[in-house]
Amino acid sequence: MTIRVDPENNEIRTLLELADFRGQLVLEIGCGDGRLTWRYAGRAEHVMAIDPFAASIARAKENMPGELKNRVEFHLIAFEDFAAANEPSTFDGIILSWSF
Amino acid sequence: MKYEGMVHALEEIHRLLRSDGCLINIQPLIEAPLIKVYQENTVIFIEPDPSYDYEEDMRQAEAALTQGIQRGLFSIERSSEFDFLTYGSSVPELRDFWAKAGAYDDSPKEDTTEARVAEIYARVEKIRQAAGQGVEVALHERARITRLKPNVMNEETL
Repeated sequence: MTIRVDPENNEIRTLLELADFRGQLVLEIGCGDGRLTWRYAGRAEHVMAIDPFAASIARAKENMPGELKNRVEFHLIAFEDFAAANEPSTFDGIILSWSF
Repeated sequence: MKYEGMVHALEEIHRLLRSDGCLINIQPLIEAPLIKVYQENTVIFIEPDPSYDYEEDMRQAEAALTQGIQRGLFSIERSSEFDFLTYGSSVPELRDFWAKAGAYDDSPKEDTTEARVAEIYARVEKIRQAAGQGVEVALHERARITRLKPNVMNEETL
């Protein structure tokens, strides 16, 4: 049987009620296999999605929808390392995705 | 991630955000998820997940967020709760799925917890087999999405 995650779309519906990512540079922390990323990335200007789990990032890259390839980057990196390598005031939106 | 690490992460998030940006925090509520068995659209079994063991992590996350707000790093703009369900053919399949996603700690638990987990799984499996066709098992979590805006801080307050 195929696993079905939030087929009711409650998560993305609630997220889009609270945030408008149009034209934004978004950082997603704890993106996992990209499950949520796919659902909002089409609205953003660009998404950088990070996760410290290699298997998750590998699946995210493997399953990336073709139309999002120029819009989404996946990086295998812990947030503290990512933050240390990035300049202040870089992102319009940051999503802490089930990662606290 | 422990409390101190979460507070530091919030400081770094504040630094990385533009002043007119926003932080979106998605996290489960501090309550055990429910294991449900559906036959067609009817719930025929419901129990709290006995393997739930991240309450303390969630309390630390709440405390870190509260600290970030009290220090003036962020202000809450809006918040909303939602139901998050994952469906599969069995509880082990669901747990295996979330373990592979890095979202579930399948490390060994105390004997009493393991025994309770085994008991619930056995009951679910029995119900699932007895019900026959059109049966699904679901893990039902309640979660919250909070939108926070970064506040302007000076060097002394950071």
